[in-house]
Amino acid sequence: MDDLKRRLLQRIIRTMPTQMLKTTLSKWARLNIEQQESLDFTQPKFLLTDQLLALCGESGLGVKHITELEMIYIIDNPNQRLWHAYQLLEAGDDAHSVEVTNFKEQFKVHLTELIRHVSIKIKKHTDEAVWIRIAWGDRSSRPNHLKPTYVVHHLQTPYVFVTNLTSKTMPLLSQALVMATRYSSMKDANLSGRNLSAVRDLLMKQFQQVFPSKHLQPLGKKNQINSNPQIEREQDEQSETRLQIACEAFGGGTLPELQKAIYTLETKLKDNTNKIMTEREQPFRCVVTFKSTNILESLRHSAMTGIASTPVTPMLSSISQKGRNHFLITDKGPGPQRKL
Amino acid sequence: MSTLGVLGHLSKLETQARKRKEAPPQQSGLEELKATVEALVIQRDQLKAEIKANESVQKLRSEDPDQSTGGGEELGEGADGSDGSVNSQLLQLMARHAQLTDLLHAHHLIGGYDIIKTCQGNGLCVSLATSYEGVYLERYSLEIDVAPKLRITRHDVPTFVPLARLAEQGGALQTNLRGFLGSLSRHLNGYAGRKQQLKLVKEQHKSVEVMESNAPCSILILLMTVPQVKDIAVLCKLDYTDHTHCLPEEVTIQSEDKDLLETTQWKNNCTLLKETPLHKALATLIQSGDIK
Amino acid sequence: MSLLRPLSKLPDLNAANVLLVENEEHFQQKLADVMVNEKSVIVQVRLAKSLPLPMKQEKSRPRIDLVVFIVNLMSELSLHSAEASLKHLAPGYFLGKVCFMVTNARNASVPAERMEAVRKLASALNCPLLFAEDQTPDGVTNAAERLLVILRVAAGCVPMTTALFLSNLTRCTISTEAEQQNSDYDA
Repeated sequence: MDDLKRRLLQRIIRTMPTQMLKTTLSKWARLNIEQQESLDFTQPKFLLTDQLLALCGESGLGVKHITELEMIYIIDNPNQRLWHAYQLLEAGDDAHSVEVTNFKEQFKVHLTELIRHVSIKIKKHTDEAVWIRIAWGDRSSRPNHLKPTYVVHHLQTPYVFVTNLTSKTMPLLSQALVMATRYSSMKDANLSGRNLSAVRDLLMKQFQQVFPSKHLQPLGKKNQINSNPQIEREQDEQSETRLQIACEAFGGGTLPELQKAIYTLETKLKDNTNKIMTEREQPFRCVVTFKSTNILESLRHSAMTGIASTPVTPMLSSISQKGRNHFLITDKGPGPQRKL
Repeated sequence: MSTLGVLGHLSKLETQARKRKEAPPQQSGLEELKATVEALVIQRDQLKAEIKANESVQKLRSEDPDQSTGGGEELGEGADGSDGSVNSQLLQLMARHAQLTDLLHAHHLIGGYDIIKTCQGNGLCVSLATSYEGVYLERYSLEIDVAPKLRITRHDVPTFVPLARLAEQGGALQTNLRGFLGSLSRHLNGYAGRKQQLKLVKEQHKSVEVMESNAPCSILILLMTVPQVKDIAVLCKLDYTDHTHCLPEEVTIQSEDKDLLETTQWKNNCTLLKETPLHKALATLIQSGDIK
Repeated sequence: MSLLRPLSKLPDLNAANVLLVENEEHFQQKLADVMVNEKSVIVQVRLAKSLPLPMKQEKSRPRIDLVVFIVNLMSELSLHSAEASLKHLAPGYFLGKVCFMVTNARNASVPAERMEAVRKLASALNCPLLFAEDQTPDGVTNAAERLLVILRVAAGCVPMTTALFLSNLTRCTISTEAEQQNSDYDA
């Protein structure tokens, strides 16, 4: 048990910058002020861990409390993980009346029914999000606190954001969530990114979308810069329409930060002369990945400057309009249609 | 005189008498008529002036239909120019006013939605404005494909608004676009109203703690303190089941002091919370000293 | 879709008009900002992404004395766009009133064929080919100065010489490839 405590604390402290550690500890509020002040943040981290561990022992704090510390840190710094979005489908009649205490209870009950060794911690954050930390165990082993799954859900919205989920635990989580939120199923929303708020904004449409309008918005910032009467842009109008089109396709203002857009093409060879390849069961796969620190911003810029042709292909504009960055493109005709 | 004879004299007297009799009413009639003429002349002049003003307003409008600010610009044309800039400014303002009234009228005719054509007439873009208590809040837009059938291609409506359900309900989108937009607008206005109320509560009543709220602002839990000998905490849960409304359908109050909630005063408070916007209801409660 | 003609309009007194065509619309702005500071003649800069120019401003547009195609060697699109734009110039421009300016020539990742293609294009059209450094302010000033020299001649502001004469000396020829490159880098 002590070993687990040490390893857990070590991991937390290793990932945290020292400055953050101080504020997080005061937020945690498990150590009294004297104890907090006695900590020497200038010493190397392994020494600091020892000192913290000793203090924890002094105050009788266990694994449970240390996971709390981890949770506080993750809530404040969610962007160090890869978040996957899931969508809840078919809301039940009473889905709109679920509130936090109710949800907490239901979720815990359902998940513990499904799997015995599991440790659940639920916390409501100030921005109306419910944060869930789940440490999974299996039939024989205790919950593994070193690889917890984090789930973020805003009540009354059909989206769930999950990090660090394995395919083994996915059905369990899905079932517990569906029961607790009174929906009927949950599916992959095909969206992932490192920036939690970006993933959330994209799905909940909380970024600025641009629509065609009679009153042309002051999008053309270029005009204002170009005040020198001796310099004239011949194709100002065109660049303005390009700007408008680009903003309509990807959104205006600062765009949510996504790191990747992945397109998978699955197709079969159709060639009468080559029977072996045509009759191959497995389709050919071609994966195209766009990577950038902010993929939407990059795409918008290329549409704006005319590097990408306008009007923008729905393949690209679907990222912001449908809120997803994994696309599977399959052959038309029998079988699954192009999933866009 | 003598040649007239008696009868002649009599008839002369008669006419004289008649004249004398008629003269006063005639005179007063004349005055009346004169007054009428005067009034009519004034009215005519007024109408003439109005016509003139209207004509110049029309002229102004036809000259410059898209003029955005008429006030500051000098016209300097024809008779108006000699009247000085005040008159022409007034005329321009009148023209602008008339134009705006027309626009507003047209806007009402199409149901109060801003609709514009996109994609060379193959699409529509509808923008719905939300307001609460006379304050304009966010605008939400929908882009709709017209052919082969109406289909929403893009929108920025929040996810918790059941857009798909509203569009499907009895084929509302296909057959009853106005009805669909109406119900959508009610949902959006309800949300905007609740959000605004919550914002106002957070701004105006710092003593009331908002324990819980959710994205559609449909469930609110407030923590209020009742100042008595010892402060009593009261939890108040407001449930806005109908998302198109900005008033709660259900108000539940919990407190450690059960007796307090049984009092008629608090029962009245409950109905008050149900019937008035939250920030106003709280203001009343604070004023009456029921809560801090 | 009208051709841009070199002599269809009357020139203005002591004025030189240059048209900078660049697909990226990036370097042209920097160049323009420097070029308008020229004191000896009044330089008017028109910026375009590609040709043809919109008909709407046909009336207000002065006579263009020099057309500069800026090609970013890092992008294939930049070259294609310049090639496509060439069609919209009247033949008269190729008598010394067109020049090419390439950027990023020093970049190692530029394929040699693209450089070769630009060189061939310039020599086939008898146009000078200039190399510019677009990252540093010095490079921009340098490039602007060299354009101004050609522009002043093309606009007829330098006595005793003409654009045609100058272009005979400055045009790009394939045979003197190595020398050309050297001289351009040294400049």
